[in-house]
Amino acid sequence: MSRQDHIREFAAKALTEGRVDYFIGWKQGHNASEVVPAFVKEAAAVDQLVWNELCHHNLVTFLKRNMPDPAGAKIGVCVKGCDSRTLVALLQEELIDRDRLYVVGVPCDGIIDRRRLEKEFADEIVAVSCSDGRVSVATRKGNEKEFAKEEVLLDACTRCRYPNAVYADDVAGPPVPEPDRDGAKPDWSDVAGYESLSDDEKQATLEKVYSACVRCFACIHVCPVCVCWDKCVNRSRQPELVEQKVGTKQKLLFQMIHMFHVAGRCPSCGACDRACPVEIPLYLLHRKMNKEIYDMFGFEPGTKLDEKPVFQLFDVNDRFGD
Amino acid sequence: MADTTTTEAGGAAFEAAPGGNAAAGANVAAATGDSGDRPVKIIGIVCNWCSYAGADTAGVGRFRQPANVRLVRVPCTGRIDPLFALKAFEKGADGVLISGCHPGDCHYSEGNYYARRKFELLERLIHHLGIPKERFKWTWVSASEGQRWQKVVTDFVAGVEKLGPREGRAL
Ligand code: SF4
Ligand code: SF4
Ligand code: FES
Repeated sequence: MSRQDHIREFAAKALTEGRVDYFIGWKQGHNASEVVPAFVKEAAAVDQLVWNELCHHNLVTFLKRNMPDPAGAKIGVCVKGCDSRTLVALLQEELIDRDRLYVVGVPCDGIIDRRRLEKEFADEIVAVSCSDGRVSVATRKGNEKEFAKEEVLLDACTRCRYPNAVYADDVAGPPVPEPDRDGAKPDWSDVAGYESLSDDEKQATLEKVYSACVRCFACIHVCPVCVCWDKCVNRSRQPELVEQKVGTKQKLLFQMIHMFHVAGRCPSCGACDRACPVEIPLYLLHRKMNKEIYDMFGFEPGTKLDEKPVFQLFDVNDRFGD
Repeated sequence: MADTTTTEAGGAAFEAAPGGNAAAGANVAAATGDSGDRPVKIIGIVCNWCSYAGADTAGVGRFRQPANVRLVRVPCTGRIDPLFALKAFEKGADGVLISGCHPGDCHYSEGNYYARRKFELLERLIHHLGIPKERFKWTWVSASEGQRWQKVVTDFVAGVEKLGPREGRAL
């Protein structure tokens, strides 16, 4: 039985038994190259649910928004490993109610970076399929190419340490092999390039990178652990902490606030990066924060239900400062 | 993108600084880093119970110290949002100094225990932004440590002066 069949079965059962009012998964988008979030309300409709290498959306983000809507709704949701960490981060802070959730963990072999594929073609991609480690891509004008899957994976997947959900009520099929986490520290080599820059180069780089930001707020809307929502300091006009004026200053300040607010809860799932219309490398920047937090506390956000995020705690024996 | 750093010009007068140094950070496009000889401006964020009182002790004791630091008094270091430091840099501060009660001495028992975790990450974020480490410091100064306050401020200001005023940077 495929993972997709498992998901459909779990969803149908939960809906039939009234365990959930609706079930959030993935379904095919407007063509065979894209997958979009699906909200399934009836058991008869579960056949639209899919699971494949395009299911990049972190569906936990709908919990942060929809938990109170409608008030008391019971929600089923599919999570990959990285998604489950954002869910655990929300649970650690009691920002969502565990009793109203039904979580299906989907063991994940890695998700395809659609943007990487788009760069390989001059026209629009209409179909992406994957089998036996090969990814076949077709475009509207009939161009076709094949790639090795490892070459077109998301950056978040190539260094993933938690491919199986860290928290789930049911699991869609057998788990995928876990990397040796005890024996190996996280691999931060992806941020080494940035770190090797001089102070001046860093500033110039960030200014250049963030000057493209249009402050559409897609990154913070899609971020599952960015939760203040209607009270966001970035949009507050009274007091006006981040000015409405459009400039690199404001953009950079806005992003640094986001980085700080999700510090200790963001597992660098990369959802923000994928949502950004101007391709700001948000994933890498959040990785850098995660690296520092790991360095400070040996802490990996959202991995254990009985932990609290490190910035909500203290230890009198902390060795920081002079 | 039409929207580049050049649209920033003229947008960065540092309102918080008395004396109206409107030139400060006014032209982000001209990232020369060389701004002539204005004195450096430093924002000090201090808790009411220890470091503010410590600065007072230094004043009462007539310990000489540089006059570049504008103090912002907050109830406790636990009240200091890392945004305050970033905002100060955004508004054109040349350095930011944070100080509060020594661990164990916080007026509210544990404010500074929470705070120091945040400050450590803030410091790392600030370095990540490429702001030289001499421009940001956080430390502890008690109400009775007038002399220590003098030394902290003198050393910090000297470090910032060595780099000179910051010009033409977004943050
Ligand atoms: S900041 Fe980005 S990477 Fe981090 S949890 Fe939010 S969406 Fe995921
Ligand atoms: S998604 Fe990209 S462009 Fe939109 S606010 Fe975030 S960083 Fe800026
Ligand atoms: S009152 Fe000074 S640090 Fe809390």
